[in-house]
Amino acid sequence: MKLLVIEDEPSLLASITRYFRKELFLCEEASTFDDALHKIEDFHYDCIILDINLPGGSGLQLLKLLRDDRKNDGVIILSARDSLDDKITGLDYGADDYLTKPFHLPELSARVKSLLRRKYSDGGTSVDLEGLHIDLNARAVTTAGQAVPLSKIEYDLLIFLVTNKNRVVSRQAIAEHLYDGPSDQAPGPEFVYSHIKNLKRKLKEKGCNEIIQTVYGLGYKLVL
Amino acid sequence: MSRPLQQKNTRILLNWLPLVMLGGSIFFYFLMRGHILHMQEQQLHLKQDNIWRAFQNSPGGMPLSIQGEYKILPDAPLSFQPMGRPRDTILRFPGCPSEAFSLLTSRINDKGKSYLVTTFISSTEVTHLMIKIALAEALIFFLLLAAVVIVNRRISNRLWAPFYATMDNIRRYDVRHNKPLRLATATSVEEFDRLNQTLTSLIDNVDHAYHNQKQFTENAAHELQTPLAIIRSKVELMMEGPGLNEEMAQLLGEISDANERLSQMSRNLLLLTRIENGQYPEGEVVDLSRLVEKQTAFFRDYYENEVAETRIDIESGVQLAANSSLMEILVNNLLRNAYIHNVSGGYVQIQLSRTELLIENSGQPVEGDPERLFDRFKKGREDNRTTGLGLALVHQICQLYRFGLHYGYHSGIHRLRVTFPAGAF
Repeated sequence: MKLLVIEDEPSLLASITRYFRKELFLCEEASTFDDALHKIEDFHYDCIILDINLPGGSGLQLLKLLRDDRKNDGVIILSARDSLDDKITGLDYGADDYLTKPFHLPELSARVKSLLRRKYSDGGTSVDLEGLHIDLNARAVTTAGQAVPLSKIEYDLLIFLVTNKNRVVSRQAIAEHLYDGPSDQAPGPEFVYSHIKNLKRKLKEKGCNEIIQTVYGLGYKLVL
Repeated sequence: MSRPLQQKNTRILLNWLPLVMLGGSIFFYFLMRGHILHMQEQQLHLKQDNIWRAFQNSPGGMPLSIQGEYKILPDAPLSFQPMGRPRDTILRFPGCPSEAFSLLTSRINDKGKSYLVTTFISSTEVTHLMIKIALAEALIFFLLLAAVVIVNRRISNRLWAPFYATMDNIRRYDVRHNKPLRLATATSVEEFDRLNQTLTSLIDNVDHAYHNQKQFTENAAHELQTPLAIIRSKVELMMEGPGLNEEMAQLLGEISDANERLSQMSRNLLLLTRIENGQYPEGEVVDLSRLVEKQTAFFRDYYENEVAETRIDIESGVQLAANSSLMEILVNNLLRNAYIHNVSGGYVQIQLSRTELLIENSGQPVEGDPERLFDRFKKGREDNRTTGLGLALVHQICQLYRFGLHYGYHSGIHRLRVTFPAGAF
């Protein structure tokens, strides 16, 4: 999978590319408007992570040029501005998703993967791992033929962990992901553990392996 | 005690003018009395001269005494010394009431004979005249007093009009609204012109400082976001590091928690300043019923292991014109507050109607002054789960939309009530 990260803050750009390269993504970087313009004109990317505030122009302009060019690269907009206008304009211009800064890397990763899954799935919308079968359309989890009755929060939690499998996901990232609204209004992470506990108990009851690990109280990790 | 200028003015006039007038009246009375007595004396002398002349011309031809007119006493004893000044007496006439008279006695020596000539003038008429003049004077003084008070009120009304206009303008001025203060520059009174100039420059300075401060808060909060995002991403990369051990993990956890709080705080500060700046336009119709339902569903599920019971009573179709983001923040912060500041096994009750949103929850009493609950950085109890800005945001939003906001605590139950104004729907 080829990824283009367009971000003017070098430190943040480095973090994002480093995070995705660990998952064997092919990551390219651009930190100015012109640099980004050359890259999107010359190459095709599976997904473009696009910052709106760029030296030399607006990310929204880049998006417009891309879509006018009839290119269907997946685009996720990043913006420090949490104004609703940017979000609406971005989605109007043909962005696939929108993420407000500051974001959690696992959240960005989940958005990218969800975009890629939507883009490349050929109707197959289920995940199989360690004897766990997840039907993404029906939002149903089964293990060894037995249904695991999960609450909405537990299901979302499981999917988030599965999407970020073999990676540490912090409690804050989980809390913000679970909240269905602006991330800055998500509740605190102090009750994430109780949902993890319930999820682990339910999976164990149905005979599933212990795949969710606690990482020193920092966060959680789904290990395969 | 402070009173309105006019009342004060009238009061001073009414206190002092009558005193001045009383003093003036007394002076006037004695002056008038002196003149009248003098006139009486002159008349008595004149009368004496006339009578004496008539007596000399025809001695024996006229009576020696006429009651109330004159009395001539020949061969007066030399021992009697007349006063030479008029004095008062009372004369009785048969069949009439007695009357007051003034009399003057003089000794006249003529051809070796000594006479005592006394003349009389009725003083009743003079007394009547004095009473009439005093009454007329009292009436004139009273009318004068009334006229002075009325004219004074009129004049001060007109004179102070620019002052009242300035006061009215200042009262309506609010530094938080971005409306400049306009004070008249030419009031035709130099002092008021100076007052207006001084006030205008004072308020300009305050306004400038306030906007600078606000701009600074907004910029600071905004600029903080990028470094905070960088710290967050680096911490998340470190979490994945191969050499992560328990000690490092604990340190990372603490860095991460502090960073998240800082991040949340700066975002809330940014929100507060933006609301103050009026950067959230309304013009949307927000379905409050749906919003509260959706948010409640999430919080109920998220805190189901902590808060045992969530009671919901939501009237459907409650809509109001507001900014949807702000309404979401309002409901979110109220709910979050109710769930976080709860007790294990407690409850949250949410009621929404067309007139109010009532959120009730079990919990420990608030430490400190409940009146200051909505102040910035005021926390109910010291914990690190909150930024201390949530209820300040609620307060700010309620102020913006003129919602009422009331808090009450009674035996383990917190009750927050947001009341909607009648015209909000």
